[in-house]
Amino acid sequence: MPRILGVDLPNDKPTHISLRYLYGIGPALALQVCEQARVDPLRRAKELSDDEIARIATILDREYTVEGPLRREIQQNIQRLIQIGCYRGTRHRRHLPCRGQRTRTNARTRKGPRKTVAGKKGVKEAGK
Amino acid sequence: MSRSAKKGPYYDERLLAKVEKAQQKRSNEPIKTWSRDCTIVPEFVGTTFLVHNGRQFIKVYITEDMVAHKLGEFAPTRIFKGHSGGKKAAK
Repeated sequence: MPRILGVDLPNDKPTHISLRYLYGIGPALALQVCEQARVDPLRRAKELSDDEIARIATILDREYTVEGPLRREIQQNIQRLIQIGCYRGTRHRRHLPCRGQRTRTNARTRKGPRKTVAGKKGVKEAGK
Repeated sequence: MSRSAKKGPYYDERLLAKVEKAQQKRSNEPIKTWSRDCTIVPEFVGTTFLVHNGRQFIKVYITEDMVAHKLGEFAPTRIFKGHSGGKKAAK
C-alpha cells in the first residue's frame, strides 16, 4: 500500500477516492491533484508507481495545506476568535454552536451527550 | 448571504469621522457608539469604544486582530450565568 505524507495509507480503491483519506482532501481536490500529477484518477492506488506517488506528494506539499498544517491552521483561527473576545470566540469557549443555530434543542454535536436535569419540563411532562 | 464586494465593507461614516478627529487630537477618550453593525476598519486600531449592548456601554479596545469584525461582536447582548441549582457552570 502506498504511503503519502508519512502516516496515511490509502487502500486499493481508485486513486481519487483513496486520496480523500487525507485530511483536507475532498472529492474536488482529489481529482485536481490527480490531474496536476498526471495520474489517472481511476487507477487503483496500489498500482501507482513510486514515481507517481512522489509526484503527488510533492504537489500536495507545495500547493496545498493538508493534514497537520491544516489542522493547526484551523486551530489557530479558532484561537484567534477566542483571544479577541468576540461573539464567535465566546461560543467556541463555551462549546456551543457559533453560527446562530438554536440551542434550546439539538446542537448535540457541540454540546455533547445529554445531561439530564431533574425537574426540568420535558417531553414526558408536557404530555400530561 | 454575504455583502457584495462591490460595495466594500459597511462602516458608519460618522463614527469614522469621529475616530479620525480623536486621533488628530491624540485623545484616548473612549468613543460612545450605538453602531454595533459597523465593521471595524483598520483606522479604528488603537481606539477604545464604548459599544452599547442595549443596556450599558461595553468598553472595547480595538486591536489589529479585530479588523473586519463588527463592533457588536464584542459587546454581548445576553447574559447567561448558568441554570439555578447547577453544581457548576459549563466551562
